[in-house]
Amino acid sequence: MNLQVVYCNHQSANLSIRERLAFAGDKLEAAYRELASRFRSSEFVVLSTCNRVEVYSAQESPDAAPTRKQIAEFVSEFHHLPLEDFSDELLAETGPDAVRHLFRVASSLDSMVLGEPQIVNQVKEAYRVAQDHNACGPLTHAMFQGAIRVSARVRSETRLAEGRVSIASVAVSDFGRGIFDRFDDKHVLILGAGEMAEETLRYLCEEGVRQVTVVNRSLANAEKLAAQFTSVGARPRSWDALDEELALADMIVSTTGATEPIVDVNRFREVRRRSGEKPVFILDLGAPRDFAPAIANLDDNVFLYDIDALEATCEQNRKSRYREIEKAQLIIDEEAERFMQDVYHMATGPIVKRLREQWHDVSRDELARLRLKLSHLSATDLESVERAVERIVNKLLHPPLEALRHEAKEGTPHGLIDALKRLFHLRD
Amino acid sequence: MPIEFFAKVSVFCFLASYLVALGVDAARLLKRLPVARWIGLAFGVAGFAAQTGYLLIRGRQENLPPLLSSPHDWLLVLAWIVVLLYLFLTAVDRELAVGLFLLPIVLLFVGASYLVSKQPNPLIAGNLGLVKLHASLLVVGIAGVVVGVTLSLMYVVQHRRLKQHHASQPGVLLPSLARLARWNWWAVVVSVPVLTLGLGSGVALGLTSKEAGAVLSFSDPIVLGHGVVWVAMMSLFVWLLTTRRSTGKQVAALTLWAGGFLLVILVGLQVLSLTSFHSGAKTSLRTRDCKLKIESTGSQHARLCGSVCKLQSTPCRLDLEERHA
Repeated sequence: MNLQVVYCNHQSANLSIRERLAFAGDKLEAAYRELASRFRSSEFVVLSTCNRVEVYSAQESPDAAPTRKQIAEFVSEFHHLPLEDFSDELLAETGPDAVRHLFRVASSLDSMVLGEPQIVNQVKEAYRVAQDHNACGPLTHAMFQGAIRVSARVRSETRLAEGRVSIASVAVSDFGRGIFDRFDDKHVLILGAGEMAEETLRYLCEEGVRQVTVVNRSLANAEKLAAQFTSVGARPRSWDALDEELALADMIVSTTGATEPIVDVNRFREVRRRSGEKPVFILDLGAPRDFAPAIANLDDNVFLYDIDALEATCEQNRKSRYREIEKAQLIIDEEAERFMQDVYHMATGPIVKRLREQWHDVSRDELARLRLKLSHLSATDLESVERAVERIVNKLLHPPLEALRHEAKEGTPHGLIDALKRLFHLRD
Repeated sequence: MPIEFFAKVSVFCFLASYLVALGVDAARLLKRLPVARWIGLAFGVAGFAAQTGYLLIRGRQENLPPLLSSPHDWLLVLAWIVVLLYLFLTAVDRELAVGLFLLPIVLLFVGASYLVSKQPNPLIAGNLGLVKLHASLLVVGIAGVVVGVTLSLMYVVQHRRLKQHHASQPGVLLPSLARLARWNWWAVVVSVPVLTLGLGSGVALGLTSKEAGAVLSFSDPIVLGHGVVWVAMMSLFVWLLTTRRSTGKQVAALTLWAGGFLLVILVGLQVLSLTSFHSGAKTSLRTRDCKLKIESTGSQHARLCGSVCKLQSTPCRLDLEERHA
């Protein structure tokens, strides 16, 4: 039994590394194909978001488990990146620690913004995609279903999900409010039409935004998103109108999944020439980034924030809710322990089943023989004898099964399983 | 509370109070302690009360309003206005870190008041109404400039924070750039005309004083210094009103330069200029004018002339006690 996660996140690697390691769009499909060809007996789930790139693996036999080094080599070769460029930033957890890590991630304890609801959807989506690619197995099913359940429990039993719980809310309240007095007279431009864009737009509407434009490569998706926010006059625009909208905007929130920056310095310089040096607040939530970092230096009134620029603010948000973190951590530890016991117990399942079957088979054979010899017994007497024998078998089975269950709390009881196999001639 | 309660209050008392208030405000940068705000505010209020009492006592001693009694008192009145602003803003907005910006300026004024004359200016005898107007307008105008400088400083700090992606400190927040820029614009646009009127009334005072026989020179260092500062502030004023595409940071930088220049000139010249007629009784007023002044203005100015004569170590030609008995 082997569970492992090899990962980098916003704490271990900066955005420039994460964006190069991301499995965005079509890359994910290719990644699953490659993993399946390299590690045939392993189960995999790949989780790739703007804050993390994580490869979960699981297999029954520890011998077949891919090592951290093998996963790192796979990532390196897949992205055509030298291993030494990111090797130090790549972390790994195994066994209970891997489970605890996944539970923390799904419960948003590992997120930049504590309590953000988006991560659990990203975990669900990663799990669904892995299933679509037939990369899941019993262990990853149990792990990810457990993670989703734990996330719900943390959400309902703690107050982590209250207050500022999205990156956009943290960024706007700390930086946006430092630039602008009010938002109702500001032009807001949303680039992208995914879940992040929707969530950001919802928050901005609560902040009083009244002029919103959604620009997306797919106009249909932009129209779909804008239709949800007609109350604030959200209007969709085609990708061709991007420069025009950039010049008009006071606040730009970019959430596209583009693999290259969509706005470089020269393009934005031209935009500034048209818009004048009015203050512009750019929130680049893309990973890889949508705006070239050098745009921040174009003039005094360009305020550009990418995911990493929000780290300090998010840390402050985290510190203010440390009590809830402690509560959530207790839930996660408890659930992780229970999960591991279940997993270990699951490993003893086949042997328990075989032992029960074998002993009951013996008792059934002996009872059949007894029935032939003692034909004068009435049906009631025979039934009483059968019940007595069954009770004897169960009582005899209890001590070894209890010992097995007890041992399984600490890990897979390989020694005891082998002993039972040898003592009672059990075969795989 | 009887005013005599403040008789033993010295400048050091409220200087120390403001220093502690500033220290407590600075400590809020390191750790968020809700009680710190109240401690800072308490020291600020204590200092303010002590300073108010001190100024009232001084006014009673000199038999003149504190604004006019001496350069020492004039600087303290200026500091008093800034403290009032600090207390008001701190009371209405618990998150605003205004003390970190205003209290150093208060300390500058109070500290400088140690170094300037405590003797009344004899020239006030000439035209008390015009002197009051001159001093009041200058104080209000300079207070406006202090506000502009403070807002500009806040702008620069906030701009730097936003550009460098630093998280805001809980408990010591600053207003938005948009609000700071707007307030700064108004501070300059209001204070410069008031300063102009203050300087204009000063010129009128100079001219009327000359008519009365006092020797006033427009080449006096403080007059010249204020003239230069006024030119700088007026340039900023004209630029603000005529430039359409100025950015908040440009306005803040120019206000800081011009306002900072004004404060340095204001305090620096008051401290250094020993021969200016603005520097209290250490004036260029000649002893032979004593008689004219005393005759025209009565008992309080008799005391002034007595001070002048004493300072200049020249025997006064008048027997003051006899004349005012």
